[in-house]
Amino acid sequence: MTTAALFILLFGCMMLGMPIAIALGMSSIGTILIFSDDSLASIALKFFEALSEHYTLLAIPFFILSSTFLSTGGVAKRIIRFALSLVGHIRGGIAMASVIACMIFAAVSGSSPATVAAIGSIVIVGMVKAGYPEEFAAGVIGNAGTLGILIPPSIVMLVYAAATEVSAAKMFMAGFIPGLMMGLMLMIVIYFVARYKKIPSQPWAGFKEILLSGFSATGGLMLILIVLGSIYGGIASPTEAAAVSAIYAFWVAIYGYRDMGPLKNVPWRETGEGVGSMFFRNTKEIIFTLPKIITDKEINKVVLDASKVSIMLLFIIANAMLFAHVLTTERIPHHIAELIVSWGLSPWMFLIVVNLLLLAAGNFMEPSAILLIMAPILFPIAVKLGIDPIHLGIIMVVNMEIGMLTPPVGLNLFVISGVTGHSLGWAIKACLPWLLVLLTFLGIITYVPQVSLFLPEYLDKLQGFN
Amino acid sequence: MFMRIMNRAEEAVICILLVATTLLVFIDVVMRFGFNTGFMWSQELTLHMSAWFVLFGASYGLKVGSHIGMDAFIKLFSRPVRRILSGIAAILAITYCGLIFYGSWIYLAKMKMIGIDLEDLPVPTWIAHGLLLVGFAFLIIRLLIILWAVITNKADGFKHADEAKESMAIVEEIQKEES
Repeated sequence: MTTAALFILLFGCMMLGMPIAIALGMSSIGTILIFSDDSLASIALKFFEALSEHYTLLAIPFFILSSTFLSTGGVAKRIIRFALSLVGHIRGGIAMASVIACMIFAAVSGSSPATVAAIGSIVIVGMVKAGYPEEFAAGVIGNAGTLGILIPPSIVMLVYAAATEVSAAKMFMAGFIPGLMMGLMLMIVIYFVARYKKIPSQPWAGFKEILLSGFSATGGLMLILIVLGSIYGGIASPTEAAAVSAIYAFWVAIYGYRDMGPLKNVPWRETGEGVGSMFFRNTKEIIFTLPKIITDKEINKVVLDASKVSIMLLFIIANAMLFAHVLTTERIPHHIAELIVSWGLSPWMFLIVVNLLLLAAGNFMEPSAILLIMAPILFPIAVKLGIDPIHLGIIMVVNMEIGMLTPPVGLNLFVISGVTGHSLGWAIKACLPWLLVLLTFLGIITYVPQVSLFLPEYLDKLQGFN
Repeated sequence: MFMRIMNRAEEAVICILLVATTLLVFIDVVMRFGFNTGFMWSQELTLHMSAWFVLFGASYGLKVGSHIGMDAFIKLFSRPVRRILSGIAAILAITYCGLIFYGSWIYLAKMKMIGIDLEDLPVPTWIAHGLLLVGFAFLIIRLLIILWAVITNKADGFKHADEAKESMAIVEEIQKEES
């Protein structure tokens, strides 16, 4: 009864077009008022606690802030140049370089559509010029762009950690190898397709270009190093790493790359300038422009954009915690788990059901909303069946990746069609063959838990736990 | 003019809260690694600031349409039906916010009566948690404005964020640079 009321209210409210956050809150509070005798005051307290008692959640606004500073065309171009210098000379090299660029940019930005937009708008044109079919180019980018939520640091993983109280640091460790693996799988497929289609390769750029482009991409690469290094090394919590990365990203975008802000288009070294005077001029400029940051239009816009996204996510999470509270007090997951166990469903069958359920949900809802609704239900069941919560998290994230490529809310498809100027149907057709790679990958992730669990367990051992 | 200043003020408060929270955690990290000390109160303060940030900003999100939602279903209907459905949604949303507002009132009144402070900060709990009332009052006002717009046929539903469309801003930036 309670279960039915809760879900009918939730889906009813969502279908009416209510913001998901309010729909979650409305359905939980409605169910509480009808079926239990919690007081409204205690719900209000619960709501405030949801916002103010989870230190891990603070990582979300910080990572969003750092990604908004670095999700710019300038950063994308530098990363692409670096990736091209690495693998451009292999057959199908530009496509492979785009995959690498997507992987790096994904780690910096943490968002799939932003990755597709930034890398795709530069690379797809380039690939077509170099003799690649446009569908091929668009399909590769659309799929590689989904890595945005799998390669750590990823916002979706933080949301999963918030919904299940699994350690966010562990999720970040678990996502690393699957992310690399999927990139590699894409590149191998690209290599064979490129051989078959006889796509030309580029000349070897030389070590000098690798070093030069590597240096120019340092801004983005260092961010990954700082964040993952400090989390994997057990030095800092994800929240602290996120705050440091936000400050770092600000510094790189405003003073390092100078893509925005008061020093925009002021070069580090003017032509014919000596090293001493260059050093002196830059120091002076950096100090004197510090006050201008507060009033700078572009910087204000970046902070406001980051705020909007953070508020949206955190408000959903706070309401989802009310929802999870109703689920636990009414013991809904517990009942479902008992039902499933009584059916004699084995873990691998359960995982198939999970995959099908998530793939279906991925067609209609945003990744973070799905995770917040499904994770509290699936998590206790999985634990009861002996599935590792971290493994379940990675499975859910990979499913969300596929959801990015399936209509009607496949965000990557919209971006692909926007970037190429073709219809949505064309974008679906372009991405479809590559979706098979993703589905194979999902199969591997689901049934080989070691892929996800190896790194977190290994790092635990290194630090002397277990 | 007055409205413009209010808009700017609202945005400024939101931005300042985000920047201040980030800086506070950053300074905390620097203090810990650089000087091996830290502040007792910083974690509680950052957590509360992030809560204020969300409570204060939620209504702003309704105004600029940065919340996510599903509009696939109501788009199936003609505009009049859509307006009716959206009106119902708005009324339900107002009910929800009203209930939490009422609950917060009782909760804060009790907290004021007991008169305890936060754990680390010398601030009465009812003041620190008081933004619950402010945030939900703002939400109710915003929802009433949306409801009114739906009734007077100026809008036919909630504005939802579109991440795909936002990502296209990067594309435009790159294309502008190249032309």
